[in-house]
Amino acid sequence: MGVINNISKNNNKDHKMQQEPIVKIRGLRYARGDHAIFNDIDIDIERGKITAIMGPSGTGKTTLLRLIGGQLKPQAGSILVDGENISRLRHKELYQLRKRISLLFQNGALFTDINVYDNVAFPLREHTRLPESLIRSLVLMKLESVGLRGAIELMPSELSGGMARRVALARAIALDPMMVLYDEPFTGQDPITMGVLVALLRTLNENLRLTSILVSHDVQECLAIADYVYLISGGKVIEHGTPEAINSSQSEWVNQFLQGEEDGPVSFHYRAPDFSQQLLS
Amino acid sequence: MLTLLQQTGIRTLSVLDRIGRGTIFLLNILQGIPGLLPRFGLVIQQLYATGVLSLVIILVAGLFVGMVLGLQGYYTLVTYGAAESLGIFVALTLVRELGPVVAALLFAGRAGSALTAEIGLMKATEQLSAMEMMAVDPIRRVIAPRFLAGILAMPLLAAMFSAVGILGGYFVGVGLLGVDEGTFWSQLVAKVDFYDDIVNGVIKSLVFGVAVTWIAVFEGYDTVPTSEGVSLSTTKTVVHGSLAVLGLDFVLTALMFGDD
Repeated sequence: MGVINNISKNNNKDHKMQQEPIVKIRGLRYARGDHAIFNDIDIDIERGKITAIMGPSGTGKTTLLRLIGGQLKPQAGSILVDGENISRLRHKELYQLRKRISLLFQNGALFTDINVYDNVAFPLREHTRLPESLIRSLVLMKLESVGLRGAIELMPSELSGGMARRVALARAIALDPMMVLYDEPFTGQDPITMGVLVALLRTLNENLRLTSILVSHDVQECLAIADYVYLISGGKVIEHGTPEAINSSQSEWVNQFLQGEEDGPVSFHYRAPDFSQQLLS
Repeated sequence: MLTLLQQTGIRTLSVLDRIGRGTIFLLNILQGIPGLLPRFGLVIQQLYATGVLSLVIILVAGLFVGMVLGLQGYYTLVTYGAAESLGIFVALTLVRELGPVVAALLFAGRAGSALTAEIGLMKATEQLSAMEMMAVDPIRRVIAPRFLAGILAMPLLAAMFSAVGILGGYFVGVGLLGVDEGTFWSQLVAKVDFYDDIVNGVIKSLVFGVAVTWIAVFEGYDTVPTSEGVSLSTTKTVVHGSLAVLGLDFVLTALMFGDD
């Protein structure tokens, strides 16, 4: 009877966890020197959704991914990932959690001394004791899902930028993670590659039941695939909501960002002393 | 005056900070070494990269250093009528000093700089960060095999340097200058002591291997992830590595041969 009660309690706990956001950020503060990158921000990332975090260059979007991945520690506030406060985890616990998270780096970050096959097989060989024949089947399946099964023998230096990101994506999903963090996946891509990547992200998120966090400043692509959007600037969350809500926002800042206007609440000029005084000094 | 004091203070703190981080880094590497035993293939790969690929420069340099020693030694010894001691002169110079020291200097320039540049570029292209995010510790997976391979390669390279150097001395002394072959080898065998000379030489090259490889992997791991940063770190590896070898050589020589 006690065993049944325990199982029931665990099931209730699991069910409660499933209702909670997969990432829950509260009162996050992070600064580099005197420059505050995040100043008391709250963000919730819902399970199974694609959440886009957008903002101008230099607002700390990549830093936010590194904070969520535990590569940086916040100065204040908490970041709960799947219920665990990531900045308080010990080295071993952090690495256990990271087995369930993947980060797709902006340039792919493929290992340049090994080919595409070995890159995708890398996490499988490091974290499992699967026989090589099974690893091969898994690698082929992952590469097939990103359309690059034919590139299995190529070295990273032989891949185009878009192909490198797709290989990195195959590597990122090799261990079937619960969440994938994408750092500027569309930057510098031609329209066809961008279209392929957009479709791929959506398909993978649905088919693998992932949670995706997409950091980007490519407005149209993000609004097209995201379920929820956060706009950040100056260390604050400026706006958040569904893509429809963001599109119909009355905020001047949001409109400037979405329309790509040169000047507005976000100044064209970086903060500087008075121009005439500086010229005469 | 105050500015000078401030700058000295800042520089001292910065040096102490680097020493501290370097020491913690070394302890982390040492913790990772037992984990390499079941995956010794990683070390073999690095032995090839650091050791086998350094062979050409080590062998060629060893041959010419030995030949120069043969030539210089002969002209000096012959004035005292001691040309038959050429074998012992060449062998002791190489085994005790030049073998470990010159091989370590060449190792710092060839393999040390390559290690720093490789690790620095892995950092600059976020490969080390990617590894961390895949829950793979880069210190254990990337750094520890390179460190262990460097330590294992160094005495082997120094031994080959000395062996080829002795052959170079033999070629010049016996082959070109007419020193008696039997005397050359018999003096060498009789006077070179296994423990005092060869083992001490091996200990020296092991210590140099630890110092140079530690500096190389730390500079790479600690580099500023830009092209200038990697370039600066690579230069530092060669300069600091070479200075460390020369400084340690003096200390070790004083300790090992001070009572002779």
